[in-house]
Amino acid sequence: MSVHFEQVSFAYDDRSLWRHGALADVSLSITPGSFVGIAGITGSGKSTLLQHLNGILKPTAGRVKVLDFTIGAGDKGPLRELRRRVGLVFQFPEQQLFEDTVEKDLCFGPLNFGVPLEEAKDRASRALEMLGLDDSFLPRNPFHLSGGQMRKVAIASILTMEPDIIALDEPTATLDPQSRAELLQLLSRLQREEGKTVIVVTHRIEEMLPYAESWIVMKDGTPIFQGTPAELVREERHLSEAGLALPECIRLWNQLAIKLGLEQEEPCLSAEAIAERVAALYEHEVHPPTWGGGAGDAG
Amino acid sequence: MKDTVLAYELQQVSFAYHPQQQILDNINLRITAGSWVTLVGANGSGKSTLAKLLGGLLAANAGKIYVEGTEMNQESITHLRPRIGMVFQNPDNQFIGATVEEDIAFGLEGRCLPRDEMVERVKRYADKLEIGHLLSKHPAELSGGQKQRVAVAATLAMEPGIVIFDEASSMLDEKARGELQLIMREMSESGGYTIISITHDAEEILASDRAIVLKDGGVAADVSPLELFRNQELLSSCRLIAPFRVRLIQELSSRGIELDPGQDIEEVSEQLCRYISSK
Ligand SMILES: Nc1ncnc2c1ncn2[C@@H]1O[C@H](COP(=O)(O)OP(=O)(O)OP(=O)(O)O)[C@@H](O)[C@H]1O
Ligand SMILES: Nc1ncnc2c1ncn2[C@@H]1O[C@H](COP(=O)(O)OP(=O)(O)O)[C@@H](O)[C@H]1O
Ligand SMILES: [Mg+2]
Ligand SMILES: [Mg+2]
Repeated sequence: MSVHFEQVSFAYDDRSLWRHGALADVSLSITPGSFVGIAGITGSGKSTLLQHLNGILKPTAGRVKVLDFTIGAGDKGPLRELRRRVGLVFQFPEQQLFEDTVEKDLCFGPLNFGVPLEEAKDRASRALEMLGLDDSFLPRNPFHLSGGQMRKVAIASILTMEPDIIALDEPTATLDPQSRAELLQLLSRLQREEGKTVIVVTHRIEEMLPYAESWIVMKDGTPIFQGTPAELVREERHLSEAGLALPECIRLWNQLAIKLGLEQEEPCLSAEAIAERVAALYEHEVHPPTWGGGAGDAG
Repeated sequence: MKDTVLAYELQQVSFAYHPQQQILDNINLRITAGSWVTLVGANGSGKSTLAKLLGGLLAANAGKIYVEGTEMNQESITHLRPRIGMVFQNPDNQFIGATVEEDIAFGLEGRCLPRDEMVERVKRYADKLEIGHLLSKHPAELSGGQKQRVAVAATLAMEPGIVIFDEASSMLDEKARGELQLIMREMSESGGYTIISITHDAEEILASDRAIVLKDGGVAADVSPLELFRNQELLSSCRLIAPFRVRLIQELSSRGIELDPGQDIEEVSEQLCRYISSK
């Protein structure tokens, strides 16, 4: 297991654990090399959960196992190495930028861990490019960038560390929709081709459905669902129970599935996949394919 | 022309943070009082910069900005600023109070409101944004979405005639986003507010009256939200993606299946079922 939470509880204020801990009795597992989505309403504990992955927060009770590290209440532990191997992108990019140029910010992590300057600069430039920003950003002050650009730099500054686990807290929040799609494609490529474990907190379940292999739904500091996208779609009530809106693609697929008896199928969730499936249903199951004929008109 | 009241009129407005890099170049705009305008564009296209000019936080290098008929300048700015409420892209940049309650009340203190009216307003806007249970918390103890709602409540409690939302819903879940949108719609329908919102959210854009697309320092388009989402070229030039329902209809259409977009996804689903079972 890449990540394993054993009955983890956490309270920002020790004295209030029994009243309102931010995490309550969390047990979960994340497979190495997987792409995981985390959903939940505001205040449900997503950011708190994420900050346990690299020891920024330590459990008030229970244990967190990440890679070959174990963190329990009051543990000091070898956090330095853990932070190199687990890259965490905060909800607000301002929280992780501190240098006066983008280049220094991007090189900070690698240099800190003994990477030679030339290679660090090389990584910086490559990471920026992956985020769709060119080298003209290197000398700029990270705090004088637009909100979206700043977020891209914050993400790049984590990638330069080449961590095994990449955890991102609502990374697409202020990105324009094309940049959001590009970021998810980038993360998916890092996961598939380089074996990274990718964990993403999102408020846009719909846009991550094609990439995430498993989902965690948080409510009041506890995961109320852990499973595959197909299970999430079939058990959509968990989303409602968590206070979340049902994405349109899930609503549509479930209605089609019920009316057309497709419940046992792997759900089609992108606009393209649904259109393709509908066209196929019309041609093959109702109308046999004909030479040169289109799908015809709606009757 | 002179009869319609303008919340804003921009004449040949230009702005640069550094002389070498023009961010906004010769912008001309008129925004009718009481309307709801969305600013859209790629990351870095100048939306927040324009918002700060409109809010009087940055001064234009060239051109004139009129707010409700008054030219914005050194002297007028102190009178104009209280009429303009701003919710920033990062809520951390606007917290002042030590508790959420103080933070909402802070802006009101300068308004010489009677004490009980102040208390009433704090309560009303806290309830509206569903943050009543957070009033005694320190802003740093809040989750991202909670911070965003506090920032909106603090701005609305001042009851400014013009409200500028800079991605105020970016950290809210879909349901909370819908709720904020409803508040914006109520404000808009009351006729008492001019709303300028910056967003990449298709639903929020569609709820507004008008979309102004920024690109390469200028206004690339000034259209109705529906026109924007029908124009594929325009959409990709401002790096937007149409909402799911619109994309689905397009994907179906390219396969020879023509549907009516309907009011919601349920209508689309019914049409699809009818289509598949038609002989
Ligand atoms: N304080 C600053 N100093 C110098 N340049 C800046 C500053 N703030 C923004 N810029 C630059 O001005 C341009 C427009 O930025 P602005 O913040 O207005 O964009 P935006 O449209 O709001 O983008 P986003 O969607 O990413 O928030 C960008 O190229 C940005 O890098
Ligand atoms: N630094 C903090 N101090 C005290 N309480 C906090 C702090 N950060 C978050 N909280 C509280 O912990 C709970 C969970 O917050 P968080 O993990 O940020 O939620 P999410 O990321 O799911 O929106 C919320 O009730 C929030 O108000
Ligand atoms: Mg959070
Ligand atoms: Mg901005």
